[in-house]
Formats: sequence, C-alpha cells, structure tokens
Amino acid sequence: MKYARFRQIKNNCCKSSFKLSSINNFYVLSTYILITLVAMFGHSEDFLGTSLINRPLVLGPLVGLALGDITQGIIIGGTLELIFMGNIKVGAAIPPDVITGGVLGTSFAIMSGKGPAIALALAVPIAILAEMIVSGLFVFRSIFNKKFEQYAEEGNYKKVQRLHILSGLLKPLLMGTITFLALQFGADAMKTFLDKIPPWVNSGLQVAGNMLPALGFALLMNLMLNKKVVPYFFLGFMLAAYLKLPVIAIGGFGVIIALIISGLQKKENISNEENEEQQQEEVAITNTNPNLSKRDLRNIFFRSLLLEANFNFETWQNSGFAFSIMPALKKFYPVKQKMSAALKRHLQFFNTSPYGSTLILGIAAAMEEQNRCSEDFDVETINSVKLGLMGPLAGVFDSLFWGTFKVIAAGVGASLAIQGNILGPVLFLLIFNIPHFLLRYNLTFIGYNTGIQFLQKLAKSNVMDRLTSGAAILGLMVVGAMPATLMSLTTPIKIGSGDSSVTLQSVLDQIVPHLLPLGLTFLVYYFVKKNVKTTYLLLGLLALGFIGSIIHVFA
Amino acid sequence: MIKLTRIDDRLMHGQVAFTWTPALNIDCIVVANDKTAKDEFQKMTMGLAKPAGVKLIIKSLQDTIVFLKDEKNRNLKILILISSVKDASVLCENISEIKSINFGGIRGREGSKLISKAITLTEDDIVILKDLLNKGIELEIRQVPTDKKQLLQELI
Repeated sequence: MKYARFRQIKNNCCKSSFKLSSINNFYVLSTYILITLVAMFGHSEDFLGTSLINRPLVLGPLVGLALGDITQGIIIGGTLELIFMGNIKVGAAIPPDVITGGVLGTSFAIMSGKGPAIALALAVPIAILAEMIVSGLFVFRSIFNKKFEQYAEEGNYKKVQRLHILSGLLKPLLMGTITFLALQFGADAMKTFLDKIPPWVNSGLQVAGNMLPALGFALLMNLMLNKKVVPYFFLGFMLAAYLKLPVIAIGGFGVIIALIISGLQKKENISNEENEEQQQEEVAITNTNPNLSKRDLRNIFFRSLLLEANFNFETWQNSGFAFSIMPALKKFYPVKQKMSAALKRHLQFFNTSPYGSTLILGIAAAMEEQNRCSEDFDVETINSVKLGLMGPLAGVFDSLFWGTFKVIAAGVGASLAIQGNILGPVLFLLIFNIPHFLLRYNLTFIGYNTGIQFLQKLAKSNVMDRLTSGAAILGLMVVGAMPATLMSLTTPIKIGSGDSSVTLQSVLDQIVPHLLPLGLTFLVYYFVKKNVKTTYLLLGLLALGFIGSIIHVFA
Repeated sequence: MIKLTRIDDRLMHGQVAFTWTPALNIDCIVVANDKTAKDEFQKMTMGLAKPAGVKLIIKSLQDTIVFLKDEKNRNLKILILISSVKDASVLCENISEIKSINFGGIRGREGSKLISKAITLTEDDIVILKDLLNKGIELEIRQVPTDKKQLLQELI
C-alpha cells in the first residue's frame, strides 16, 4: 500500500544522513500542511453554504489523498460518517467537532497503518475535546458585536462586511493551527503508542467499531421514529435484509411510497400550488415593480452561503444576514444615514436554517424596497416579519434537509464508501446539495417576488403537512435499511459438535438476516429513549464489542 | 400530561419541531404567548413549521392555563412553549403539574447577560428564577434532548 512509503520515509528520517533527513523532514512537514489544509477546508463550511463538505465522508478521502492512500481514506471516512450520523447541528446545539476529530483520527490511523477501528477510537475523544474549543469561539465572537454596532452607526457597510469575513476566518485558522500542532507534536508519539497495541486489542476494537454505528442509527431513530411511521422503518429493513437491495434503490422506493401515501405529485414544486380563491390582501407584499435585478438577487443568494461565517451565541447569524442582504441595501440606501439605520436593523439577533434562509432574505429585500418607496412604511414590520419567519422556517427546512436529504445522502454515500468506492463521497455531496442549492437559489426569487403570499398559500393548503409526512416516510425507510447494509456484526458461536455442528449465525441468517445489527440498534435506541448519555453509550458499546470479541461471542 | 415546558423565544423552530417532538412522543404543542395569540401572521408561519401529525395550539397565557386545567386534555402528551421567564413563573403558579422548566433560548436584551450558550438573563429574571428554585422547580438547560442536562442554579 502507498502509505507504506510514507512510513518508510518517516523511519528513514532518524537513520539517514542529515541532508537526506532534512529532505524527508520536508516531506513529512508538507504532508502535515496538506492535512492541515484539509481540516481548514472542512472548517470553512460556514463560508460555503453549510453544504456538508465538513463531514468525515468528504474529508476522509482528502486526508487519504494527502497521505497517498485515498482508498483507505474513503473507507475510514465512510465508517466515521456512520458513527457521527446522528450528530447534527440544529440551532445552538453544537455536536462533537467531527472535522478535527475525523481529520486527526483518519490521519493517525493511515500513518500508523491501522484500520478504521483505530481511526474511530481516536476520532471520538478528539471530536469531543475540539467541540469545547469551537463552542468557546462561538462565545468569544460575541465581543465583535460592539464593533458591528459601531460600524452600523457610521453607516459603513464595507467595514461590516469585512469584520464578518474576518471573524469567519478565525474558525479555520484556529482549528487549522490546532490540527497542525497535534500532527507536529503528536504524530510520532501516537505512532509509537499505536504500534504497541497488541493484536487482540486491535481485533477487539474492530468488533467494537462495527458496533458503534448502532449509536448513530439509534440517534437518528430518536429524531425520526414515531408510532405512525414505524412500519416504514421495518419496510426499509426488510427490503435491505431479504431482498439485498442497495440503499440507493431503497431511497427510490421510499420516494415512490412517500408520493403515494402523501398524495403529492411533485415534492419540490410547492410554488406551483395555485389556489385561486385565496388571494388575500391583508399582508399584500407582492412585488409589482421590482427594483432589484436578477443579478442583485443572485448576489444575495451567493452571499447567503456565508450566512453562518460569524455564528456566535449572542446574536447568532445576525451579521450573516446583514452581509447577505447587502446588495439590496446598497441599491436602496445610497445615503449614509439611511444605510446606517438599515444596517442596525439587520444586525439584530437572527437565526434560521441556512437552507431556507434565502426565502427570508428575499422577503426582507422586498420589504426594504417598500420602505424606500413609501414614506409611511413602518420599518418595525421588517424585523417582526424576519423574527416571525425564522423559527418556523428553520423547523421546516431543518427537518427536510437534516431529516431526509442528509439521511439519504449519508446512507447511499457511506454504503459505497465503506467498500472503498470514490462514488460514495461524490454521491453524498450531490444527493444533498442538488436539492439544497436548487431550492436555496429559487427561494431568493420566490421570496422577493411573491413574498408572504407564497407562505399564505402554503399555509392554506395542506402541502406542508403532506411534505413533512412524506419526507419522514422516506427518511425512515433509509434509516431502516442501515442496520442491514451498513453494519457488519456476526457471531462465531457454534451449536452442536463435530460434523453436525452449525453456526448460530447461519441459523439466524435463515430466519432474519442481519438480526444482530438490528437487535443491537434497537437496544441502543432503547437506552437513548431512556435518556442515557451518549458518551456512556459509546463507552458501553466499546466495552461490549471488546469483551464480546475476546470471549468469541461477536465477530 | 405535560411532557416539557420550554422557554424558547423563537417558540416553534427546528429544535422543537425536529428533535423534542419526536423524542418525547409529543402529540400536542401549545404555544403560550399573548403576542403570538393575537398575531395572525405568526400563527400562520408556526402552522407551517408544525411537525406532521401533531396538534398545534396557539393561545394566550391565560387561555393556556384554562386549556391545561381542562380534564379533557389530560391524556394528551403536551409540549408547552413560552418565550420568557416571567411567563414561566405565571404558568408554574397556576399549573402545579409543572415541576421542571427547560431552557432553550433567550436572546440578548437590554441589561441581560449571557449565562450559557443561547441563554441570557436580566437581574429581574434571576429574582424570579430564584423564587422558582425555592419552590422546588427544576430549571434545566438543554438545547436538544440528547444534550446533557445543565442545571441553571449552578450558573446564577
């Protein structure tokens, strides 16, 4: 394997002449820098539209590439994705930092020639530690708010934009530095330590690593499972276990079943739902004479990708919103005084799902335009509409993207990646981001052109109810398929003796294939429901796998 | 049965719709907020965010108390959303079933300071909260159900 070359060179460092060793040192150093860049890329997700480029499934292969073993990177990335699958970012709930944990875990595992099991064992604690640093940064960023206020007072939008970006850069820079230091000072010690691990520990870890995805699945089930949709979970499981269908096919079935059950013809075409008699005039914010060009709106969309760059625990995405709506403000308020008022307006507390943010941006832009055109426009309504929409829309879009698209993307992606298939990470990004960017782009225009009427139509029809229930069915079928396709847990126990002995596993396989992974997933789910802490469950699973492997109950 | 009473000034949003509701098998979400109860626009947007198959009720604080006291609603699994510490204490006074209050998010206001991520409190809030603590009400901070419970009394 290619990473052998890396290890060889590393070993040579110590033995060979000074000149050669400095070349080798340079090689090692440049590898570390490449890995650091991967970590920084992951931490730049907040600049890139929360497009999931920070997931282990994506960063694993990149780390593999830096270390000259992309296949191993893909496999480790896929495995890590399974475990961190249930960890999602909703609102201010910050999950373990999978970026730093994943990148370092993958690096150490590949460098020492160990498999995914070691990567896991390292990634989990590192991710938990790194999360504390990230949370600290989100608290620290609040101190910039004074500066933002001052710039708003001056009406200096350029400085607002600059500070937003600078603050955003802090995260990749800080976490990149930490990654680099960990590699520079920890890699050798880590390698020595990992080399000392005896084989039985390694195989124990392997079994434990095979069990850990049960936690990821259980956390997902905790989010999605309720009495009404339970059958779809088992439908997904049976399609995978008995018919051996790949996750992508089950996703396809899921779409069809969801469409039939919820009676939706076209999922995305919410906007086409015409209800003629519902032309309400109360909150008529329809744009008859738009002043923003297509280009301005496109700009708002692109800027919205930076919405979370300055995420902080005091005002959340406030400067992100101001940054995104700037093309409209610049056009409407050439006078400093008015610009200042507008900046202050949009630097107030804001937080929503980034995936649906453009809808609110579009609506707010349309309202700003009204404000400029008519003297007696009540500017207070702009913020009250923003605040009124941000929570509910976060509910809609977080459920849709985290609960459905992410689950399907990760299910399909990880199932391919654990076999070392590069299509895994590629499909993962495509399945999530094609609907993401299509919707996000179009919502900018829908928001600006039809504004609140669009929402009123939605509220009057039952499209939303059907959409959410359809999405739940689809997501859950894919989750049901996961224990059968993404987890390998078997038992080597034999029944009977001599020639007539059969393995327990073959008996189980005849009744319900993949019964062990399913059973374990439900066991963990039970404990999750009982509010047992995730960390305990993690340790419990590790111990169970370890002991099970030693006493030959699990393999 | 009241499964959760949550202070969250965004009321209905992602964490509520997507994590708390399924985790607690909620079948009725009650938004108890005087302002929202009068605001047709807010009611409409919250209706959009409602998780499928869950009943959403938006009432003023007083009407919520009437609703919660109604025997007919005993067998509903209810999640109550309120937006302020003051409203929480009013509910606690009137509904003895509420023994615990979950803190989700309270944004910064004049004179408030950040005490935990996403939670800010004013001096007035703290006075009310100490009173609630004395009455034996649990005050806990959790963004999502899988978070570790952090007790508020350790922070004020």
